[in-house]
Amino acid sequence: MSRGALERTLASRSLGIDVVGALNLVGRLVKYLSLAFLFPTFVGLGYGDPVWPFLAAGAITAAFGFGLERLTRGGEAIGAREGFLAVTLTWGLAALAASLPYMLDEEQLRNPLDAYFEAMSGMTTTGASTLTDIPALDHTMALWRQFTQWLGGMGIVVLGLAVLPRLRVGGRQLIESEMPGPEYEPLAVSIRDTARRLWLLYVGLTGLMILILSILGWTGADPLMTPYQAAAHAFTTLPTGGFSPQPRSAEPFAAASQWVMIAFMLVAGANFALHYRALRRRMNPLRDEELRLYLVLLAVGTLILFLELLRADIFAAGETAVRHSLFQVVSIMTTTGYASADFATWTTLTSLTLVFLMLIGGCAGSTGGAVKVVRHLLIGKLILRELDQTVHREAVIPVRLNGRIVDERTLRAILAFGLIYVGLFVVGSLVLTIESARAGLEVTTLQAIGTAATTLGNVGPSFGFSGPMGSFEPFSPFAKGVMILLMWAGRLEIVPLAVLLTRRYWRA
Amino acid sequence: MRILVIGAGQVGTTIVEALHEEHSIAVVDTDPDRLSALSYRYDVMTLEGNGASRRTLREAGIADCDLVIACTSRDEVNIVAGILAERLAPSARTIIRTRNVEYLEIWHERQLDVDFVISSELETANAIARIIGLPAARQTDVFADGQVIMVEFDVPPDAPVGETIGRKLRDAVIPANSKVASVIRGDRMIVPRGDESVEPGDRVIVIGSPQAARDWGRILGGERSRTDDVVVFGAGDTGVAVARVLLDQGARVRIVEPDEERAREVAEELPGARVFNATGLDADFIERERIGSAEAAIFTMRSDERNLYAATLAKLHGVRFTVAVVAEPASVAVLERAGVDVAVNPRMVTAEEIVRFAHDPRIRQLAMLEGDRFEILDIVVRADSELVGIPFRELPMTGSLIGAIVRGDSAIFPHGDDRLAPGDRAIIFAEAARVHQVEQAL
Amino acid sequence: MIARVALTRRAIRPGRLGVDAAAALHLVATFVGYLSGAFLLPAAVALGYGEPVWPFLAAGGITLVTGVAVGRLTGGRQRVGLREGFLVVSLTWLLVPAFGAIPYLLADEAQLSNPIDAYFESMSGFTATGATALIDIEALDRSLVMWRQFSQWLGGMGIVVLAIAILPRLRVGGRQLLQSELAGPTEMERLTTTIRETARRLWFLYVGLTALMILVLAIIGWSGLDGAMTPFDAVAHAFSGIAIGGFSPRNDSIAAFGAATQWAIVVFIAIAGVNFLRLYRLFVQRQPGAVTRDEEFRLYLALLAAGSGLMLLELVAGGFFAGEEAVRHAVVQAVSIMTTTGFASADYTEWSALAGMTLLVLMFVGASAGSTGGSIKVVRHLLMMRITRRELEQTVHREAVVPIRLNGVVVDERALRSVITFIALYLLILAIGAVGLVVDARRAAVEIASFDAIGAAAACLGNVGPAFGFAGPFGSYEPFSDLSTGILAGLMWLGRLEIIPVAVLLTRGYWRR
Repeated sequence: MSRGALERTLASRSLGIDVVGALNLVGRLVKYLSLAFLFPTFVGLGYGDPVWPFLAAGAITAAFGFGLERLTRGGEAIGAREGFLAVTLTWGLAALAASLPYMLDEEQLRNPLDAYFEAMSGMTTTGASTLTDIPALDHTMALWRQFTQWLGGMGIVVLGLAVLPRLRVGGRQLIESEMPGPEYEPLAVSIRDTARRLWLLYVGLTGLMILILSILGWTGADPLMTPYQAAAHAFTTLPTGGFSPQPRSAEPFAAASQWVMIAFMLVAGANFALHYRALRRRMNPLRDEELRLYLVLLAVGTLILFLELLRADIFAAGETAVRHSLFQVVSIMTTTGYASADFATWTTLTSLTLVFLMLIGGCAGSTGGAVKVVRHLLIGKLILRELDQTVHREAVIPVRLNGRIVDERTLRAILAFGLIYVGLFVVGSLVLTIESARAGLEVTTLQAIGTAATTLGNVGPSFGFSGPMGSFEPFSPFAKGVMILLMWAGRLEIVPLAVLLTRRYWRA
Repeated sequence: MRILVIGAGQVGTTIVEALHEEHSIAVVDTDPDRLSALSYRYDVMTLEGNGASRRTLREAGIADCDLVIACTSRDEVNIVAGILAERLAPSARTIIRTRNVEYLEIWHERQLDVDFVISSELETANAIARIIGLPAARQTDVFADGQVIMVEFDVPPDAPVGETIGRKLRDAVIPANSKVASVIRGDRMIVPRGDESVEPGDRVIVIGSPQAARDWGRILGGERSRTDDVVVFGAGDTGVAVARVLLDQGARVRIVEPDEERAREVAEELPGARVFNATGLDADFIERERIGSAEAAIFTMRSDERNLYAATLAKLHGVRFTVAVVAEPASVAVLERAGVDVAVNPRMVTAEEIVRFAHDPRIRQLAMLEGDRFEILDIVVRADSELVGIPFRELPMTGSLIGAIVRGDSAIFPHGDDRLAPGDRAIIFAEAARVHQVEQAL
Repeated sequence: MIARVALTRRAIRPGRLGVDAAAALHLVATFVGYLSGAFLLPAAVALGYGEPVWPFLAAGGITLVTGVAVGRLTGGRQRVGLREGFLVVSLTWLLVPAFGAIPYLLADEAQLSNPIDAYFESMSGFTATGATALIDIEALDRSLVMWRQFSQWLGGMGIVVLAIAILPRLRVGGRQLLQSELAGPTEMERLTTTIRETARRLWFLYVGLTALMILVLAIIGWSGLDGAMTPFDAVAHAFSGIAIGGFSPRNDSIAAFGAATQWAIVVFIAIAGVNFLRLYRLFVQRQPGAVTRDEEFRLYLALLAAGSGLMLLELVAGGFFAGEEAVRHAVVQAVSIMTTTGFASADYTEWSALAGMTLLVLMFVGASAGSTGGSIKVVRHLLMMRITRRELEQTVHREAVVPIRLNGVVVDERALRSVITFIALYLLILAIGAVGLVVDARRAAVEIASFDAIGAAAACLGNVGPAFGFAGPFGSYEPFSDLSTGILAGLMWLGRLEIIPVAVLLTRGYWRR
């Protein structure tokens, strides 16, 4: 189809959206994504693994990106409205590109749906896997899995804004749609510069983690922690991803490595803008209300798990019990999804606690998913205000966060987000229950609920057979499709995807 | 003394009335009717013209004036007039009136080159705070993002003599994190030593944390400062200024404002106050919110009639003490007769303050004294300073006092054992003669 | 004179409280005092069946004496405003079930000898929940059974509404009271000029509907269509049916009756789930448009149909029932659970997990605002959907101004905010309740699945009644520990008052001046 024809088709109805412009941006972003395939190619060469799947995938991606850009030339300037479409499509296509190597050369992921699931789980930093035999993967393929999470963590579009030649778009809309949390906090004058600084920090932290883990391995504190493992885990810790090349996640590693992971998950689950300011000594991070609540929630969760583990005699008191409860709580609440023990086999209370933590999530501006601590904080404040105003009808009470006023519009958006999130979560659980019953799969309510929460919150492991040491492979194709949608929606914080479904979005 | 008054409104007229017998006065205004009314009543020279115009000021003989008072109702005219006066008559003192507290702050930071700036709203607020029994604090300076403040207090003549007042400072109980920087008694002003004491009727300047300033307010106010539940009706500039002063004193303040948008603005501006969007003329609202149990209610709504009605309603519901801010001078007597405990006219308050300053410019405000005998220094301690590392009690400084040091992000209010470190910011209250010496030592 | 009034007023108001707690208590005591009259009905039943009368007379006496004594102690002032209203309603609903539990304790009924269980049963009655701590209901005295049913009937339309309607002049506005008690977020629509008159008409309609239902059921029994339906059963089921309560004198709930009876009951509970203010306009004022054009009513019907349809599919697909039976069981369960009644024509706990899940979701839907049903209510869901849609629209069109309408009338932003707050609080309390049940069940070594715990919490908070597992429709809440029973009673209380009046009491701003 020639460009003119495409344009005519798209413009035939009175659309309010410059679809051509949005597609053009998507094309440019996807085109550059092909460069990401160079990394596994080099790794493959180093390990002597086959590199053709990556080269082929890179070529296909590049060709597709170029083609799309060509076809839609002339629509470069896009506005806020097109941003929703561009970001949503980019994520859908990026996951598709990432699934190409799996489809081409991985026995367990021959089924395109499974491959797409795995790639979407990677790109959205979820960490749910359909693989049943992870060690069967060669080094390169396993590292590609880890690397997709690292790319998706800080955001493909943010990366695009940071490193690509001028995109000729404002970018604010794009970064807002992609960065988690209710408000975009600029770190620098331009969005481009902010994006760069965030990526720099992200790369720096990843480097630091690789270094520390490698040192642990090298000094013999943890013989299992080879440089390969160090890199693989750093790639999935900072984006709060949760993939591991180990079949039993973080369990085989020594206590020292697990403590390091806990520390970095904590960092990755906090606001990166806050890290940046703290590093620049511009503020004391503990003054931030969100961070404080984040730490308090983690502490409470850990305490509950710790007490319950002791009660149920799963671990004896001491460092082990503390470490395992802390590890699980941090991993689940920051939506990472590692496990240092198979929590799916623990008690009902621990499972319920973990499901609640899955719904909380990390801080705004972190790489974590789910609802985010700041939204819970603001919803709490809103409820208190509502109760106050029920009695004092005339009282005017602005809601403040860190002493700054949060405007009513943002508050309304947060409430709407919270409710859509819960709605989607409920619908997701229902559909998974119904579908599993139809497919004759033994799925308990808790597992269905946990699976919906874990995919929507980009956490990773659930309960039952899809627990931390298990696999999502047994789910029916339809259920997997639903989960892919949930991951996609969760990573984009629903709204960009949801607006595309309203009629008003498309109308002039 | 020759005085030039710019602006013949209520403030100007009151000033003329108070000063015309002893001094020779020239009045500039744009309104000929006001001027002629004025010249029939008092023996003053009048000139029609714009007070912000150089030609008019020259014509009015500004070069020979000793005091220039710019008190029109427009801030910008007053500021321009004040700046021109500093140029055209360098020897004259200049006073300008402003309604905007921000200009006052700019002046405190010495960015506005006039001798004295007076804000009607702030003066009124301070006057009301005094009336309802809170010691009037004039916040004069803020350092280190508000962690250190310097406050000037009036010690009431009937202040309770006890652990703090009337006892030698060495033995007196002084709120933590604060220091008495200066005691002003009559026209004498000193940096006190341990054997001095704070007496009723003095004015004191205190350097300390905001909390310490509140504690001082409590001590100086004695029992009366228990007035901790005040309702302010009307959130205009005056209402907000009153609320702010009361909040600074640690009182619980409720504000009632009928305009929805304004109520929202004020609620955002004053986190400590509770703001209601209601008229204040609504008996049901007053009943429901238990306004009647407030110790004092202050009425700063635009119309005097509304203020009277609302005040009467509040009294009916049990408010003990009512203060109304009124626009018309005549309303003062009317409202007080009708049962409002105290009525205040901001313009009269302002005029009185200006007149007091004109009578005795030396002791009115700390800011005036700065240029005269004392200065507040904000110095970063050099690494090679001879004073680094010496405990405070051994520091050889006389005629000056280190009020606070700012280290990193936080303020320290030094005790005898603390030591100065390189890179500290020291906030020092010093006699003018010692300034150079202090600067060298650090 | 004025000065003196002000002075006395200040002297009376104790401390620095912003709420006139004494006046609130006085009003509560008044309500409680009049409650004693309600014990006459079961007393009469006891006389008729030759059962001991004294438990009811004694309970009536205790209630009367307490009411009068507390009323005396708190003086004769009844200056109750908006703020006191929350306290009055919350306390009334906490205390009335306590007094209502006295007959259970006095009657020497072994199954309810534990005071917590008796309070649970009574709370479940007055809040029209229908959850029971009894295992064998048929073992109870007839009079005690009738008291259970009657407590639901009293609580259904609201104790406070009843008081406003029939008591001598209360000298309080009443609007606040009525609004805290009548279910739903919509502003009180007045049927007439005074609140008192409105309350009266609501009760008139309520009594009328109940009488009609008694009549219909009695005819079914009398005509031989259903031999099991005795006049006693007719009265008992009408009491708990119109109140959307769900208590039944039978162990097998309405499974004990024939198809005709079940259909009749379904029709009546579906009607009782409609806004009574609108029903009044339909039946008494003959304005059918008031109901049929109501957006909430339409959604209510649509949801009932969808729920029934879904259940039917599952029943047929699961091979549980076929033909009329399948339709009937699907409809009865869906309608009964969605309107928060809690009658059951079959033990749905034995159906598939999917059916259980569907019913759990229906528990959150609830009946219409202004009906006797509980839970979130249809209108809130309707408004929520509109709010969400508006939010999405405004995300794209930042400047768009989109007022939300209900039946063509713009809904105030404040009301919308309180809808959202309500739902958020509802979910929060549900979560806390469910976790509390799980934790406590572990402590007390009661075997409960997390799904069943969530179900029990939802059933109590939504005033539905039966849940899943052992607390199913033919089961009992008896296995729960005392603490869990207390938690569940608390959830019923919160659910009946729609949370906000109680939550408000927990804020500092409420008590301060």
